[in-house]
Amino acid sequence: MTNAIEIQRLCYRAGRTFEIKDLDLHVPPGAIYGFLGPNGCGKTTTIRLMLGLLRPLAGGITLLGEAVPRDVARVLARVGCVPEQPHLDPLLTVRETLGFHAAFFPTWDWPWAERLRAKFELRDDQPFGRLSKGQKGKLMMLLALAQRPELLVLDEPTDGLDPVVRRDVLSALLEYVSQRQATVFISSHLVHELERFCDWIGVMDDGRLIIELPMERFKNGIKRLRVGGTPATPDNPPFVLLAREPANGTGETWLVREWEPQMAAFFDACGVPLHQVIDLDLEEGFVELLRTFRGPRA
Amino acid sequence: MFRVMLYNQWKWSRLIVLLGSVAGFALPIVSVQGAARADASPLVPAELLRTVQSWGVLYPVLAATLGLLVAIATWTPDHRGRHVHALLLPVPRWRYVLLRFGAGATLLAAPILAVTAGALLATWSATIPAGLQGYPATLAVRFALAVLVAFSVFFAVAAGTARTAGIILALIGAVIVVQIIAHVASVDLDLLGKLQIVILNWPGPLAIFAGRWMLIDV
Repeated sequence: MTNAIEIQRLCYRAGRTFEIKDLDLHVPPGAIYGFLGPNGCGKTTTIRLMLGLLRPLAGGITLLGEAVPRDVARVLARVGCVPEQPHLDPLLTVRETLGFHAAFFPTWDWPWAERLRAKFELRDDQPFGRLSKGQKGKLMMLLALAQRPELLVLDEPTDGLDPVVRRDVLSALLEYVSQRQATVFISSHLVHELERFCDWIGVMDDGRLIIELPMERFKNGIKRLRVGGTPATPDNPPFVLLAREPANGTGETWLVREWEPQMAAFFDACGVPLHQVIDLDLEEGFVELLRTFRGPRA
Repeated sequence: MFRVMLYNQWKWSRLIVLLGSVAGFALPIVSVQGAARADASPLVPAELLRTVQSWGVLYPVLAATLGLLVAIATWTPDHRGRHVHALLLPVPRWRYVLLRFGAGATLLAAPILAVTAGALLATWSATIPAGLQGYPATLAVRFALAVLVAFSVFFAVAAGTARTAGIILALIGAVIVVQIIAHVASVDLDLLGKLQIVILNWPGPLAIFAGRWMLIDV
């Protein structure tokens, strides 16, 4: 089955310091893919490359089976986008903005757009330039959803919104996804928010994708282990040892990836006492992952 | 698509278009009325020609101003949004540019029609002395071409980034600086004069702006 988004060996450079190098990214069809990363790591640049707003130096991007940027005009008819900043015409009212957008999208669904407008409590006659940040966020999501896209690419769509607005926006998104089985690619640094509904996760740092795997595997696979003593680093462990550091008092704390419960037997076989296996939530896992990724190079 | 683009364009350009239309309508009438005498005696040919010619300078100025302002207004919504919304629409970029150009050019029809109406009214209402003739249609066509040339040039310039505009301004500035240096150094170099000939003389791109703009002539 073709992935909804397929990025292979993507390279891009902006200025002397920022670079995306050999980025591979795969979003399965129907997935809700959370794209995580600290500020300035390249998330928005990656999204801009995906949407044809920037041209890559090398590599291939395919959205819904069509090559970007070559076929970008065709593919955008099937993709709903919420860019990082709302970039709509400030003079147009909400009604006029909907009309402008609808004229370009053959799949535009007016009845649903009207329902969403009412649900989001957006007044028809308000100019976009005078909307609050929350109202702008709602309108951007409305525009992306009412065109009935097969793929939604959302760049921090709830950033800066209050919890009530965030809930409204996300519930509309999830309602649409459950109806249409659309694919969602959502970038955010609100890790807890992504944890609630994403089924895939990709973590980016410094222009590279550090990890990409199903959410369950990410959440269940990253653990903090309390280990007795200071054992030598084991040969060929069944898990990925990300970091080890001295714990308070005796022993060490190991941060591991791809952990499964039966792997405790490995410690028995090595004669290393395993005192505790600590679950990490997505945010802790994300922070630890970044720390270990940056650590060796710091 | 074109309808929404035209409406969008109207929201940004309506004040310019309305003021331009009023000015365009008034200009031919005022130019003829300026030669009229207080005692309503017949128009004197030489005086009429002088007045029409002096007011005629304003036609190319109005055409260039309208072209410039409408071109700027055409791109303003996109520049403000850093072109992100436009680039996320499912149309090829050349088509989007064409839609924007078409919308701006269509709105310029209003001042062109206003000049046409004003010129027809001015020549119809005035008693033109023997030996002279009114050229309202010629003037209107020339004004239309001048407006479209100005709009096209400024549309192309305004489509670019601030960097492009900077490069163009820097080039113009460089020519002026070279001319000043040449003048100070008493070098026989007339860059500005040569440029003027290339640009404003036929078949230069802006030749339509040069020469006399006469509503009434021999």
